[in-house]
Amino acid sequence: MSINLIIVSILFSIFIIITILFLLRKKKINIKYSLIWIILFTILLIATIIPGFLVWITHLLGFKTASNMVISIILAVLVVISIVLTMIVSKQDKKIRLLIQEISILKKTFGDYNEKK
Amino acid sequence: MRVLLIIPSYNEEANVLNNYNRIVEFNEKSKIKYDAIVINDGSKDRTEEICIKNNIPHISLVHNLGIGGAVQTGYKYAYKNDYDIAVQFDGDGQHDVNYVKNIIDPIINKESDMVIGSRFIDKSSSEFKSSMTRRLGIKIISFFIKMVTRKKIYDTTSGFRAVNKKIIKEFANEYPVEYPEPITTVETIKKGYKVDEIPVSMNERENGTSSIKAWKNIYYMLNVILSIVILGIGGKKK
Repeated sequence: MSINLIIVSILFSIFIIITILFLLRKKKINIKYSLIWIILFTILLIATIIPGFLVWITHLLGFKTASNMVISIILAVLVVISIVLTMIVSKQDKKIRLLIQEISILKKTFGDYNEKK
Repeated sequence: MRVLLIIPSYNEEANVLNNYNRIVEFNEKSKIKYDAIVINDGSKDRTEEICIKNNIPHISLVHNLGIGGAVQTGYKYAYKNDYDIAVQFDGDGQHDVNYVKNIIDPIINKESDMVIGSRFIDKSSSEFKSSMTRRLGIKIISFFIKMVTRKKIYDTTSGFRAVNKKIIKEFANEYPVEYPEPITTVETIKKGYKVDEIPVSMNERENGTSSIKAWKNIYYMLNVILSIVILGIGGKKK
């Protein structure tokens, strides 16, 4: 892997990690959901910093180039994260639905009660 | 026997009053009285205003939920208020209150747990049978339901249905958001309840447009089929 690519990769990883930490501090993101990003990019950062490590893994997994391998792995992780996000959205959907229903029924019951008084 | 008609309504300002008045008229003539509740699914028109002005019992959802969420609110209301039978009754004038008796009779006689008012079971009864493509869609869904449950349901998308107390509870707990009719039919049969079809006649919509525009869409079919097949793979749930 060329030295330029390594530098770009390191800078990008640091940038993402700092962004996530910043968002965490501003409370714009939940710790539960941010951890995966921090772990992912810390691993990438460490892997790029250790000399020869990426090349070794690349040969081990049978990729032609290190960049190919990094892209493939990131892609796979992104797919998994997207599926998890879809699950979270579906769950929230259910919760919101329950809230809307219960509040609406409550409003109706409350209205009836007020009429009777 | 306390019977509740659940009337899901979305932008039905043109129909809601007529529809309710027909139920009131029916109650005046009939021995059995039906309670009714309009579920106003966050309508953007004057549906709520008309309900308040005319004293129509209604629940106004604070945000639009779609047909599944609206109907489920009705089942929750039925469950909380201890109704014996809940009837899903469309707010657009498609369903005829005179047929309610037909579909609740098997439940009163404890012959079935859920009864679907069907347009297709008896050729003579219904004048309105909807378009060719829609009928084809219903046939395909019917085929998949038969495959998964071994039971032939003819009018798979009929929103005119009655359920007993046990199923009110089931539906209050769990109800699909989208494409609820075919999916609940399969789920209910799979859980071992007795589901029957009774011929009814339906009118063409008086005003407004049907909520199933998606019929033109293959996407609708794929979704329904996928849901049914998954329920089939799931096997018998207790």
